Amino acid sequence: MADNLNADFVIIGSGIVGALVAMKLARSGASVLILEAGPRYTRDHIVANFRNSPRRSDWMSPYPYSPWAPHPVYKPQDNGYLVQAGPYPYPAEYIRMVGGTTWHWAAHSWRNVPNDHRIHSLYGVGVDWPVSYDELEPHYQEAEEIMGVSGADNTGSPRSRPFPMEPVAEVYAMRRIRERLDPVYKVVSNTTARNSRPYDGRPACCGNNSCQPICPIDAQFTGGVAVEKAEAAGARLLPNANVYKLEHDPQGRVIAALYYDPDKVSNRVSGGTFIVAANGIESPRLLLLSRSDKFPNGLANARDMVGRHLMDHPSTSLTFDADEDMWLGRGPQSPSSINTMRDGDFRREHAPYRLDFTNISRVDGATTALIAEGVYGIEFEKRLRHSAARELNVKTVLEVLPHPDNRITLSDQKDSMGLPKPQAHYAIDDYTARGAQRGKEDFRRIAELLGGTNLRFTPDGSYANNQHICGTVSMGNDPSSSVVDKWGRAHDHPNLFLAGTGVIPTAGTCNSTENAVALALRTVDHILQEQTGRSRAGKT
Amino acid sequence: MRPRTRIPTLAVTLLAMLYAATPACAADDSSTQLIHKGEYLATAGDCLACHTAPGGKPFAGGLPLPTPLGNIISTNITPSKSAGIGNYTLEQFTRALRQGIRADGQPVYPAMPYTAYARMTDEDIAALYAYFMQAVQPVDARPEETRLPFPFNLRAGMMGWNAFFHDPKPYAPNPEKGDLWNRGAYLVQGLAHCSTCHTPRNVFMAERPSLELAGAEVGPWHAPNITADPNSGIGGWSDQELIDYMRTGHADKGQASGPMSEAIDYSLRRLTEPDLRAIAVYLKTVPAVHDPADTKPVYAWGNATDQLDTLRGEPWPQDRSLMTGPQLYDAHCATCHQAQAQGSFDGGLPPLFRNTATGRLQTNNLVLTMLDGIQRHDRDGAVVMPGFRQVMTDVQITTLGNYLMQTYGNPAGKVTVDQVAALRSGAPGLSRGPDLVLLARIGLAVAAIVLLLIIAGIVRLFRR
Repeated sequence: MADNLNADFVIIGSGIVGALVAMKLARSGASVLILEAGPRYTRDHIVANFRNSPRRSDWMSPYPYSPWAPHPVYKPQDNGYLVQAGPYPYPAEYIRMVGGTTWHWAAHSWRNVPNDHRIHSLYGVGVDWPVSYDELEPHYQEAEEIMGVSGADNTGSPRSRPFPMEPVAEVYAMRRIRERLDPVYKVVSNTTARNSRPYDGRPACCGNNSCQPICPIDAQFTGGVAVEKAEAAGARLLPNANVYKLEHDPQGRVIAALYYDPDKVSNRVSGGTFIVAANGIESPRLLLLSRSDKFPNGLANARDMVGRHLMDHPSTSLTFDADEDMWLGRGPQSPSSINTMRDGDFRREHAPYRLDFTNISRVDGATTALIAEGVYGIEFEKRLRHSAARELNVKTVLEVLPHPDNRITLSDQKDSMGLPKPQAHYAIDDYTARGAQRGKEDFRRIAELLGGTNLRFTPDGSYANNQHICGTVSMGNDPSSSVVDKWGRAHDHPNLFLAGTGVIPTAGTCNSTENAVALALRTVDHILQEQTGRSRAGKT
Repeated sequence: MRPRTRIPTLAVTLLAMLYAATPACAADDSSTQLIHKGEYLATAGDCLACHTAPGGKPFAGGLPLPTPLGNIISTNITPSKSAGIGNYTLEQFTRALRQGIRADGQPVYPAMPYTAYARMTDEDIAALYAYFMQAVQPVDARPEETRLPFPFNLRAGMMGWNAFFHDPKPYAPNPEKGDLWNRGAYLVQGLAHCSTCHTPRNVFMAERPSLELAGAEVGPWHAPNITADPNSGIGGWSDQELIDYMRTGHADKGQASGPMSEAIDYSLRRLTEPDLRAIAVYLKTVPAVHDPADTKPVYAWGNATDQLDTLRGEPWPQDRSLMTGPQLYDAHCATCHQAQAQGSFDGGLPPLFRNTATGRLQTNNLVLTMLDGIQRHDRDGAVVMPGFRQVMTDVQITTLGNYLMQTYGNPAGKVTVDQVAALRSGAPGLSRGPDLVLLARIGLAVAAIVLLLIIAGIVRLFRR
């Protein structure tokens, strides 16, 4: 049994959201303790693992797997941690270690478009957000200034102040795509947290093209950077502390977090306010695990809403050969996209989407494919060169609507710590499938404009997952259909807050991190204002 | 890399447009020109670097300058009448620059490079005076006083020092040399005060003229030999390479770090091309001082190579202090400097071989750069190279430093754990200079004893 740890704020999860929440709270002078299930790993070690890996395209391969903090692993084979209840597979990936999953991401930091907040009112689908775009806007800006975000100005998301920096220099292939699709499609620079110039002590992107699995120089903002900032602000971080239960008092206030260390010794941490920021699967899992006599279905789950409304961004794609050399693989992996299908009246009928061009080097994938095909010798070299130079890929990033049956539950199976594994129930509805069909028309047109040959569409009904796990602890004004209020506070527990992608009520077409960070920073503002107000009231 | 000169350039352009727009006001025009010239000279003299505290107002002083005697705190040289030099006449201003004497008659410490500024012409001093009096914003705040330990707190002592070590005469052009050379000598010996860092000093902290620019220690940093010696100095650099270095901090043969990158950012980078060329021309004629240990030019060591075969497929050792040089290089350096340390194709990310960074026997600069990286100073937090202070231990920095020297640099150059630990902690006393405070106190004690003995002798004589 460890010492009696205690803090004003106990944060569960040290990913980008938990760490930035910790940073902001610590800067206010509060004592902050972050509990992280996984181990602490440094960037250099991940870089070395990546360079040393025989499976470069498996972005999980450089990351540690810890039996005391298990996470899903699918390659070389599925470790069965995330149990699949179907009907559609939901093979979500995430990393349980200090800094969390944004160690590998493409740093997309999209804001919603304003109508994303009102799709029920406007289009009769999904739900409205309890927070308007205008209310969230200052927190988007705050997030962007922390993370060093840049992007195009014409993507449908109004801003009150400019981006903190100009976009990273346009990649040659993206310039050619932009020029050749114009004016049918406007291809714009993605909104990303990647330095185009030295910023906040981190260098500018120098084009390693390994954003996933690891930016080797921290030109890209990651959870690892966020943790450094949190610790610099005075937050304490305890790695290898797998929180398995939250305890409460008779009034329903959370009073302690119980965690297992790697030897499965249980420890107890008490605190004033608890913030669960353990990602869209582990956060609801922890609430479900925290069963008690008073709350037999787990915390914040009196109305059986925890884990429901699971959403992500399924992708369909087209791979083809352009009629000129493009040489993907120089500069960032995901620099440009088309944003014209993110909003419109069509949202009554089908899912909106972004169209995203990859800039990941084709060499590894083409090599694997050619070897599998049995090609060798001079022919191999010729065809590899052709594919590396000309192969392009464009994908949809489709909205999924919140359905209560898409959900995370506890499985009957136990993980390596003897805790119930998370279980995913997932389906992709016709709304999203119709969006994918509409996207296919764009694929054809794009290929045509680029002189495309050798068109390879993903099969109809087959979707890749994007690891944007949202909705499972949704924010809403109505406690009967949500888990937290508009500030992120659990409906039945005044000192329990949820932060992270799980609170996002609808997925829209923007990668979930920026929304999660902005909402979490807003939560912190609210907590601090409330506590200042209370201490002022106490003094007078 | 983007040019970072936009704002100053804009200011200059606006000033130029202002001149062009007001040809009628001849008198104003000439005084504006004088101020403008003075501003340029203040830049060449890098007055701002020392006379501005971090985040402070320009020229308002307050920056502590660490010396072996303790901190010397720079003064307010804005035209404030209460806290700055607002009451200085041109004569007093000239005396301060030429002789190191303040308006109140007190000597200044030679942390202020008046020993170099003395070379300035009367005309240039007048321009500088016009700029400081008329164009610098007065700041009515007095920075903290310098308090050196006894006996150095007695500024009068500097009078004797000046008598021995200071030559207050302005620069005398050498008629045997051309205008370019003379301009270069004037700048290098005068305003640019290169010798302040690059010339070794004697036990009295005075520069040794016979070793002009032969290399010296500046706190923990090594200011290298920039004499014309082809191996130890810059004799093998082309004029253009020297100009590139001074303008960008970046040449194929070496890159600026530490205090030199500050000197470039605040001063050298802003000088005109002809002035930089003049400096280069002069430097290449500074009498060569050769260190026999430099058997090759310091930029000529090493080749592209790697030891990847030693690390592929090998897990990292559990004990991270056992990591090998190639493992550390792979994790920390290879991303930018590339697998064989060859740098990027366009030289923007420099190679680590055939680079002065790894060619010198003195390895402090290499270690300090690994610890703290390279920053630009004209924009907050602008990082050219990130530092590894937070992520690497002393042992790791030592292993990596020795790997770099062995593999890509001068194998005779060594890095030790004690050296890294001392540089990390910023411990003073790294420069190998004598303990001046102790020497001076011993000297004074000896003098006092001699005096007492003499008095005692006289007393005895009288008693007889």
